[in-house]
Amino acid sequence: MISLSQVNFGYECRETLRDLDAEIAPGSFHFLTGPSGAGKSTLLKLLYLELRPKSGHVELFGEDPDTLRGPARLMLRRRIGIVFQDFRLLDHLNVADNVRLPLMVHGRDPAAHADDVTELLRWVGLLHRAEARPRALSAGEQQRAAIARAVITSPDVILADEPTGNVDAEMGMRILRLFVELNRLGKTVLIATHDLGLIRSARRMATTRILRLADGQLTVGGAEL
Amino acid sequence: MSEAEEPAPAPYRGRLRLLPRGGWSAALSTLASLAMAFLALITLATGIAAAQLGADWQAALSGSATVRIAAGAEADADAKVLAILSATPGIAAARPLDRAEQAALLAPWLGEGEALESLPVPRLVDVTLEGGGPDAAALATTLEEAAPGTVYDDHGSWRGPLIEGARAVERLAIGASVLVALAAAGMVALAARASLAGNAEIVRVVRLIGGEERFIARAFVRPLAWRTGLGAAFGAGLAALALTFLPGAGEVVGLDLAPDPLPLALLTLAVAAGAALIGWVSANLAVRAALAELP
Repeated sequence: MISLSQVNFGYECRETLRDLDAEIAPGSFHFLTGPSGAGKSTLLKLLYLELRPKSGHVELFGEDPDTLRGPARLMLRRRIGIVFQDFRLLDHLNVADNVRLPLMVHGRDPAAHADDVTELLRWVGLLHRAEARPRALSAGEQQRAAIARAVITSPDVILADEPTGNVDAEMGMRILRLFVELNRLGKTVLIATHDLGLIRSARRMATTRILRLADGQLTVGGAEL
Repeated sequence: MSEAEEPAPAPYRGRLRLLPRGGWSAALSTLASLAMAFLALITLATGIAAAQLGADWQAALSGSATVRIAAGAEADADAKVLAILSATPGIAAARPLDRAEQAALLAPWLGEGEALESLPVPRLVDVTLEGGGPDAAALATTLEEAAPGTVYDDHGSWRGPLIEGARAVERLAIGASVLVALAAAGMVALAARASLAGNAEIVRVVRLIGGEERFIARAFVRPLAWRTGLGAAFGAGLAALALTFLPGAGEVVGLDLAPDPLPLALLTLAVAAGAALIGWVSANLAVRAALAELP
C-alpha cells in the first residue's frame, strides 16, 4: 500500500532523510518514532504529498505520485486522511462544518452524509460540541475533531502527526483508542510520535509495528522499545 | 448534559463558507469598485455624448452653407448670386435672410435698435445643400467673379476644429475608461493575492485533504467577483442617477451627459456586468497563478 524506496530528502541546510526503505501493508498499524527533529513530520509530509523526495520513490496504493498529475494525484491524496499535530481546524467553521469540509472538498453532498457526521461526532465524543468553534474547544477536543475530519470520507490510510502531543495522558489514551478502532475497521494507521508510553499502550490493544527514525535512517523495529 | 442526550448537530444548510468573511478589506474593495464604476460610467457617458455631439455637428453643419454679399456690392449682386446658386448642382435651396433675421443675428453684438440701418452690414444668404454639396472652391470663384467681395462659407473652417474637439473628448473618454478598467483589474488581482495570503493556511489544509485547484480558486474568485459586481452596480447606478437628476449635470462642457433613459440604463448594466466580468477574470488569473506557485 505504501512503500518507500531509497527516499532521500533534505532541506536547504541539511539532509534530513537518507536512503529510506520501508513497506506499510494495508490494514497495518505503524508507529513512526524517533527523537525530535529526526524527520518524522517530514516523512509524513512525503507520504501525504506535501513534499516531494529529492531522490528515490514513494509509492502509494501501487502508484508513483511523481508520475501523476492533476486529478490522478488528487485521487491519491483523497485516499489519505491526515491528522495534523496542530489540528488545523478552520476557525471560522464550527466543529460539524469542519468535519463536513472534506465531503464538500471531495464534491460530495454534505447533506446526504448528515447521519455520518452525527455518528462520527458521537464516536469522537464531540456531539455536544458540534456547533462550537474550534477556539472554544480544549486541545483534546480539537484533536478529536481533527480525527473526525480526517476519517469522514473513509480514507484507506490515516496519517497522524503527534496526535497526543498536546493533550494529557488520559485524553491521549482516549485518542489512541480511536485510532485502534479505526485500524480494526481495516484502516491503515501510521502515527508519528515520540511518546513511547503511547506506543506501549497501543501494543496492548493492537498489533503494531514500529518504524524508528534516527540520524536520517529508518529502521523497522519489532517488539522491543 | 451527557453525550447520549445531545441533539444532532444543526442540519447542513447547503452552504459551507470555505473562507471567513472579508471584513473591512472586503468592504474597501467593494467601495473601490463602486468608485471606479462611477467614474467609468461618467467617462463613458461623456465619450458617447461627445461622439453624438460630433455627429450632430457634422450632420447639421455639412448640410448648410452661408453666402456673404459684401456691404458695398452692386445693387444687382443679390440677384446674380441667387441665380448662380440656384443653377449650381449640390444646392437644394438658397434663401436671403431678411433684415429682421439679420438684426436678430447681430443683436447680441450691436444691440436692438437702428444700428443695423446705419452700418454697412453684408447681406447673408442661407444655403441648403444636398448630396455632397457643390464644389466649394469653384463656386467661390464663380461668385467672386459675378459679385466681387462675395464669400462662400461652407463652415469648414470652424466645423473641423469643433468636430476634432468632440472626437478628442471621445478618444480621451475611451482611454480613461480603459485605464479605469485596468485599474479595476489590478485592484481585484491585488485583492485576490491578499486574500490568498491571508488565508494561506486554509488553502494548505484544503489542498492536503484533496481539494482541486479549481475548487479552491472558485472559493476565492466568487466573492471577489460578487463584491466587484455589487460595488460596480451601485457605482454605475449612482452615476446614472447623478446624470439624470443632478442640476446642470447634463450641461457639463456643453455636452448632453444625460442621454435617454433606456441607453443610460443599458450603459449602467453594461458597466456593472463588465466590472463583474473584469473582477471574475482578473481574480481567476491572479488566484490560479498564485496556486500554481504553491508546491
